[in-house]
This record gives sequence, structure tokens and C-alpha cells, in this order.
Amino acid sequence: MPKPSKPNLGSFRRRFTTLLTALTFVVLAVSGILAFVRPFSLHIVGLHALIGFLVVLLVILHVVNNIRPLKGYLHSRTVWITLVITVGLSGVILLQPGPVKQIIGLSKNLGPALERFETSEDGMVFHYDPDPQYRMTLTLRTGGAFDPENPPRIAIWLENQSFYHIKTLLGSNSVDTEKFLPYWSYKRREYEKAKKESGGDMEVHAVSSPTENSSFDPADYILPGDKENPMPYRLVVEINQENDAHESIPDQPPLIYAVEIDNAYPAAFQLLELMGYPKQELEEGKESWAIYYADEGVGSALELIDSGLLTIDRGEMSSAGGKTGRGEK
Amino acid sequence: MKDTDQSTARRKFLQQSILGSAGAGLAIASTTHVAVGADEKENHEPELATEVDVLVVGGGTAGTIAAIQAGRAGASTLILERNSQLGGTMTTGGVAFPGLFDAWGKQIIAGIGWELVKESVELDGGKFPDFAKVPQRHWQNQIYVNQFLYAILAEEKCEAVGVQIAYYEFPQSIAETPDGWQVDCVGFGTRRRVLCKQIIDCSGGAEVVGMLGFPRLREEERQPGSMLFKIGGGHLPGREQVHRLYVHGADSTNSRTATLANVTGRRSVLAKVRKEKKQLMHLQPETGFRESYRIVGETMVTVNDYTSGKRFDDAISNAFYPVDLHTKSGVKPKPLKPGTVPTIPLGALIPKGSRNIIVAGRSVCSDRLANSGLRVQASCMGMGQAAGVAATLAAKNNTTPFEVSLQQIHQVLRDHDAIVPGDA
Repeated sequence: MPKPSKPNLGSFRRRFTTLLTALTFVVLAVSGILAFVRPFSLHIVGLHALIGFLVVLLVILHVVNNIRPLKGYLHSRTVWITLVITVGLSGVILLQPGPVKQIIGLSKNLGPALERFETSEDGMVFHYDPDPQYRMTLTLRTGGAFDPENPPRIAIWLENQSFYHIKTLLGSNSVDTEKFLPYWSYKRREYEKAKKESGGDMEVHAVSSPTENSSFDPADYILPGDKENPMPYRLVVEINQENDAHESIPDQPPLIYAVEIDNAYPAAFQLLELMGYPKQELEEGKESWAIYYADEGVGSALELIDSGLLTIDRGEMSSAGGKTGRGEK
Repeated sequence: MKDTDQSTARRKFLQQSILGSAGAGLAIASTTHVAVGADEKENHEPELATEVDVLVVGGGTAGTIAAIQAGRAGASTLILERNSQLGGTMTTGGVAFPGLFDAWGKQIIAGIGWELVKESVELDGGKFPDFAKVPQRHWQNQIYVNQFLYAILAEEKCEAVGVQIAYYEFPQSIAETPDGWQVDCVGFGTRRRVLCKQIIDCSGGAEVVGMLGFPRLREEERQPGSMLFKIGGGHLPGREQVHRLYVHGADSTNSRTATLANVTGRRSVLAKVRKEKKQLMHLQPETGFRESYRIVGETMVTVNDYTSGKRFDDAISNAFYPVDLHTKSGVKPKPLKPGTVPTIPLGALIPKGSRNIIVAGRSVCSDRLANSGLRVQASCMGMGQAAGVAATLAAKNNTTPFEVSLQQIHQVLRDHDAIVPGDA
């Protein structure tokens, strides 16, 4: 039997590029699957993103190395079929019809959580569905001072037990956000600062609190690993109507509403409570913001929203008594 | 107030000489007697007889306020304290950060307790929290008090209204009399018979109520106590909290269990010092106890009453604190809902079926979870002041505290700067 001839592996550059592309692709694939099925982790997502950039580079090199056969493919009819499939799939995934949403909803990564904000004359409804078994709906019923033609600025975010911002559900990127939503802006800055100080470790106990209940990962609160001891967290709303004068005050301050969510004692419906208004404090040059009880300086701003109702549909979690995790009876 | 020496004429003379100066100076009854009777032959008859309108048993957080209030309202008053100073948990226990006097941006507890705290802080150059600011954590509105100043100011306020202080004394037996009570008390080198119209039991564990045979409630396992200390850097009283170690099983039921708690607490501190190799800068002389006996009262405050902020018909003071049950694994305070201000009814201070006795402090009739919020210092001060008023009015009107007109109690409380539920 004749000995099989050794395949021609080409130059070192070809071999190197091909092998490196294949190996980094394995990392990309595994980290991609992990990023989908696991709760959000900066380590996994970071690995996936940066290896992805490397793969892009390697693929370009690979294309350069194989430009001739590629040109041949491009002249075949198959190119049109593959192009249609690619564009079609991308379009469907981007548009997110029901079945696609369901598939995405299987992800435990709260990064791709489904968020939706709707407004009407009666109010504003915000949906946040980080998991098919954990759907949050915040209904803000508008009050007498609400003007649909000139709606107030609103930010909605989650805070951990140490009152650190952990996720913005609804915010604003406009340049005057700092002025009109100062408390949310401050909370975001503190969050970014704490993240930076932690060096990327999202379990920032030393920065946020001496307790071990202050993870910055929303998944730790919504889909906790330790289902027997879920950690409470807060949903906070900042609302501000621009230039709403009241008595001698040319512009009333923003108002802060909040509700604590404790999955150990699951409640389907919870009302938002008025906390007060934020005020900047500078002590030895260090900025902080405190909330003050609403006093005579606040008038019509109290009527921007009539009430805020948070509904959490925990699916099977709630029927299991709250202390039991998803799917467990 | 009437004191009669039953031994020698010489002792009577000295006793009266010293007590005669009580209006101008502090009367330290037991110390006085030790000086006079140190060479007396042992016998079991009381050496002193003291006749007062109101006897306050326990000079702790509630008792101190109750005694000052009774004195200010015109009752001759004697306060027994088995330790060496007034203030209890705040001074001897070192929990010198009382709270909570405010709720939802308003002050809800004031009166004599607040006056003492305020004076202590002002004299010490300390700071008050801004009650207009929403605290992120409930303890941010606790007030740092210099425990040493507080104890001295409390004595000064007692002295100012003629309240007689008897340190190192406690009741040994009690008998009912047509006019009230005969209470035989002991201290080292002292045997005193007190005749009083009303007793305010502020012993922390409703000890007088127990001696009288009224039923009391107690949990199988008490919440842990805390031993307060400071290692490493120096301690700045009135400016900071100190270090704390749980003393599991701490039980203030009797001298034996309290001894065990203190020895255990100090042993834990020693272990920490050895482990961390730091200098021990401060150590409280006694464990801070959280829980003991509670009375079975005419009214029980349930956790539902507490968390819903029920306004009792006979409410006499406000309270405010999260439901705060400490367990072996720590504590997870459950804050009250915005706007909620619990109240304390007079009936919760009256042992069921009793006459001429009222309690104040953590032995208030309440279920365990309600008590975990009610037991804190500001609330106990509010109860103490109300009990002082009720006992004084009862003594003046020859009735029992539960039968005193609520309107009258409220009026006297207002006259002495207390905040009556509904007023804040």
C-alpha cells in the first residue's frame, strides 16, 4: 500500500494564521455560549469581545491568504443564497419577533434584558424582563401636573443594598442630564468610580460596604446563585419637570421615588414610595448627594406622578414560596 | 419625702443632717448609711425607712427619665439602681448612640430624654443629625452622646427636683399596703424599707412585676447581648461608635446569668486582643442586654400594630425603629414603611390585673418582633416619661395609673415638652 502523501500545508504564515484562527474561534465560541447561558460576567463578556476583535483580524489575514478561492466563490450563484440567509437572519434577530424574544429570554445574561418604555396620556409603563421567570413592570400613573406635551425627565435604575447604582433601566444621554437628573447622574458616576477602583472585580465589597451583600451584578439580585438567601435591592425613579416654578422657587427640585424588592418575601405588587428630593453636599471638597424629605419647597412636582406601581411576575418562583429558585417546587 | 432611722439617735441625727441637704445637694442614700452604720451589729431589720410617692426601680434608660419626670411633676421620688450610675444601657452598657427621636423628617420623641441627650451633646460640642435628611440607614439618625456626661447630667437633673438616688440597692421583698407598697430593699451595708404609693418598674426585666407574681413572657433563647469595647486607636466618647462583640446567650434574668454574660463577653474581648495584638483602649463594665422578661399587660403591642403604626386609643408615646431582631447569625433590620410611626398604649405598661404599679422600658407588653423595635432608647425614654406622669397623677389622686385620665396624662406630658401621639 502506497504511503499517503503529506498534504501541502503551505508557508509558515498560512499555517500560523489558519491555526490561530481556528483556536481563537474555539475560545470565541465557548465564551459566546457561556455569555448567553450564564449571568452577566465582565470576565466572560470581556474575553468574548477582545478575542472577537482578534478573530476579526485573523479572518482578514485568512481572507488575504485565500483571496483566489474566495474570488471563485463570489462568482458562484451560492453567494446570493448565503447573502439572503445572512441578511434575513440578522433582520429577524434585530426585529425580535416573539419566538426570537423567547430564545433570547432563555439567556441568564441580564445584559440582553428586554426593556421597553411606553407612554400614554394616563401614564408611563416600563417593562424590564431580565428572565422569563422574572418580569418587572413599572406603571407610573401621571398626576395633575404631568404635561404630555412637555413630559418630565425620568431615570429608572436599580441599586444594591449599599445604595450603589447597579443597572440603569431608563436613562438619558443628553448633555443636560447632569442638570435635570442630578441624582441619577451622581449615582452613575459613583458606580463607574467604584467599578474602576475595584479593577473590574464586580464583587466590590471594600468599596461599597463591609458586608457581602453588595455585588454590582444585577444577576446576583434577580437570579441569585444562593437561592436560599436572596439579597434585597431597590428600584429607584428620579423625575424632574424642567422650569417648574413653585412660589419663590424658580425650578422645583427633582423627586426621588423608590421601592425595595426582597425576593425572600416576594410581592407581586408594590407601590413606590416618595423618598424626597436630592441635594448636593460638599464636605471637604468631596461631593455627595443626600435625599431630603419633601418640604414646602416642593409643590406641583408632587403631582407629576399620582402613583407608581411595580409588578413583578416571578412565574414559578413565586409559587415556590420565594425562597426556592426557578423551576424548583 | 420622709426618711426615718430606726436604730440609734446618733444615726438619726446624721441621717437627717445629710438628707436635709438633699434640696441643695445630691443624696446618695446607701453611701451615707455605710459611713454611719459600718460598725453596726448585723441584724435583719431595715435600718432605713423611706416614704415616697413614687419608687422607681431601675435607673436605666427609662427609669432615669421616669424619676426626673415624677420629681418635676411634684412627686417625692426614690430611684433604686443596682449599678453605680444612671443611664443603664446608654452609660453602663455603653450604647451611647440613642435613637430614634425622629421619623420621616419630624421629631416624634422629645421631653426629658431629648433634653438630656441634647444637653449632653451641646455640652460636649457634638453634632446632631439633620432630621430633614432621609437616612440611608436607620442608625444614621442615632445621636452620638458622651456617656460620661449623660450620667452626670442625669444625676444633676434628679438632684434639681429632689429625686433621691440609691445606688447599689435593689428590692428584696414587696408587700401591698392600704396606701400602696412596702418594699424592702438591700444594698451592701444597707437595708431600707420603702413605703410608696406607686412603683415604676424600669428594671429591664420586669423584676418587681415578677416578685409580685404577675405573669411575664420570656423567649426560650434570648437575643444576643453586645459587649462594647475599643481596641487599637483611642476612643472618642460622643464622637464615634465603639467595637462590639455579640455575647450569645446573654441573659439578664438574675445576677448569675448576668455574671456569666459579662465574663463571656470580656473573654471574647480578650481573645480578640490576643489575636489582633492591639491595645485595649476602652471596655464597658457590663454587657448590653437586648431582651429579658416582658410583662403580660392590659394591652399587647403586636408586630402588626407596630408595623402598621396603629394609633392606640390610650397611646401615650411614640416609638420608631425598624423591626430589629438579633439572632446568632446577626440582624437584618426591617424598616418601617414611610409615614409609619408606631405608638405605645398606656395599657402595655400596666401588668394585667395590677394596681399601683406601672412598667417602662423594654419589658413593655409586646410580642417579640414588636419588642425588637420598641426596646430602643428613645422609645424607652418616651415610655419612662409617660410612666412618670401616670404614676405621679395616680399617687396624687389616690388611684392607679390605668385609671388616671388620659387627657390629664397628655396634658402633663405636653407641659413637660413630651410629644404626645398625634401632636408631631
